[in-house]
Amino acid sequence: MQVGLTTTVPIEVIYASGKTPVDLNNLFITSEDPEKLVSKAERVGFPRNTCGWIKGIWAVVHEKEIKEVVAVTQGDCSNTHALIEVFEFQGIKVFPFAYPFDRSRELLKAQIERMMQHFGVGWEEVKKQKERLDRIRALAHEIDRMCYEDGLVSGYEDHLFLVNTSDMKGDPEAYGRQMEAFISMARRRKPFKEEVRLAYIGVPPIFSDLYQKVEELGGRVVFNEIQRQFSMPFSTDDLVEQYLLYTYPYSFSYRLADIKKEIAKRQVDGIIHYVQAFCFRQIQDLILRKEVKLPVLTIEGDRPGALDARTLIRLEAFLETLRAKKWS
Amino acid sequence: MEGWAGIDVGSRTTKAVLLLEDGSWFSHVVLTGADPQGAAEKCFKVVLDKAGLDQNVVLEVVATGYGRRRVPFAHRQYTEITCHAKGAAFFFRDIQTVIDMGGQDAKVISVDGAGVVVDFVMNDKCAAGTGRFLEVMAQVLELSLEEMAEEALRAKEAASISSMCTVFAESEVISLIAEGVPRDKICWGLHLAIAKRVAAMVRRLPQGKNVAFTGGVAKNRAMRKALEQILGVKLLVPEDPQVVGALGAALLARDGTRCK
Repeated sequence: MQVGLTTTVPIEVIYASGKTPVDLNNLFITSEDPEKLVSKAERVGFPRNTCGWIKGIWAVVHEKEIKEVVAVTQGDCSNTHALIEVFEFQGIKVFPFAYPFDRSRELLKAQIERMMQHFGVGWEEVKKQKERLDRIRALAHEIDRMCYEDGLVSGYEDHLFLVNTSDMKGDPEAYGRQMEAFISMARRRKPFKEEVRLAYIGVPPIFSDLYQKVEELGGRVVFNEIQRQFSMPFSTDDLVEQYLLYTYPYSFSYRLADIKKEIAKRQVDGIIHYVQAFCFRQIQDLILRKEVKLPVLTIEGDRPGALDARTLIRLEAFLETLRAKKWS
Repeated sequence: MEGWAGIDVGSRTTKAVLLLEDGSWFSHVVLTGADPQGAAEKCFKVVLDKAGLDQNVVLEVVATGYGRRRVPFAHRQYTEITCHAKGAAFFFRDIQTVIDMGGQDAKVISVDGAGVVVDFVMNDKCAAGTGRFLEVMAQVLELSLEEMAEEALRAKEAASISSMCTVFAESEVISLIAEGVPRDKICWGLHLAIAKRVAAMVRRLPQGKNVAFTGGVAKNRAMRKALEQILGVKLLVPEDPQVVGALGAALLARDGTRCK
């Protein structure tokens, strides 16, 4: 049975229960016509000025007939609260999960144990699942390393393989085999010769062609911040510790420490800060700009589809500027 | 005599500049309409005719503007941001900021001494702060753009215009007309409202004393006055601000040829 996720949660618990986690964001954005899903949600009454991901998640749950959802009520989007109410009103079973605002170990442990109780599993089974998933995650980490260190992986491929670790595509071993095949193919490639190295900060884009356009314009994303976080790039055997080290649900200053470390390590020339229309994370842009000593291009996405002409011109100008700076 | 050409296919007008090796240059402007490629070809032909030269003497063509990919005879493309910075630096030494107000958008660009872009901001996804906004308002007031600017310059005080959405501002202007607010006051209020919006963009970038004003809207004296009043600086406006982007493109074409 499939269990929908509104964002990353300890999937070890769901796998331990024998159920299959499915990241609703991935399901929505890879569906045949994501724009149609957003329009469907608007037709039933979701406001125009609400996050496209929330609308997409609602619609894809109905389209794919998902009966149970784990929804993150703290550490992600506050629109999820209303989404939960709508789901429950429509007879969909919801388990709310909250990352503690203050990164308290005790509170997080209590949340995970509550979730374990809900799914009827114990620590031993969950730990086994962590070992199982960590073996798969290691492959995603290798792909990420090949992206920024060897230059053998495109920014889009890096994004794609990292983002899918949030649910392991419902079959960790099959996903592992897919990554192994990719790694062996990519090792035979010639390295990319990008003129500009970029960091991608923020939630995954709702645009379908952002990475491709960046590469057409002579750039390459070598750091996908949140997507990398989904892959749990931490060396710890402790599950609670793992979800404490995970930056996404906690404060922006905590995320910044990771961002600063990675952009230095990956020799980045500039930053693309992606923000979703109507998202509270847009406000954090002002902190990013003050704290990071690199050029920042903030782009805003609203609905699924290709980049609009205005965003494209800004992207193109940003790359021209970075290139000119590099050569001057 | 050999030269380089810059073609700026904007949302409202298409501009061409032919820059010759002796430093002289010729320019021409046509309406873009629904055929950007046709407008680019026509503009290029006219500018060659003005110089009395054949296309063969043009070593390289750079295209810019929204329609930059629709110029088949261009060798390279650059965004208007890069081209306006380059063009403005040709006219004025030591500029730190370029305000470019065109038909469909407004941009503020931070530049270094050589006219290389350091940073930039663009207006939001609407027509506020653009030439198109002024055109719509002039239409509501039954004035030409020039007449609207003259009215604004005559005004002793400004009407308060709070909405910057073109559609809502239109209703606001209609209400002001109905209330009997003098037309000059409305015109000046509109210019000041746009200037405030653009000034907010200027303040998002490092402040510089030497600010150039380019793009078609820079021809509007009332907009220059409004921006100078809000920003508290004397703007540097080239003789023909509308063709600065095309000139920048021609300069980039020249730089490109010289690098080869």
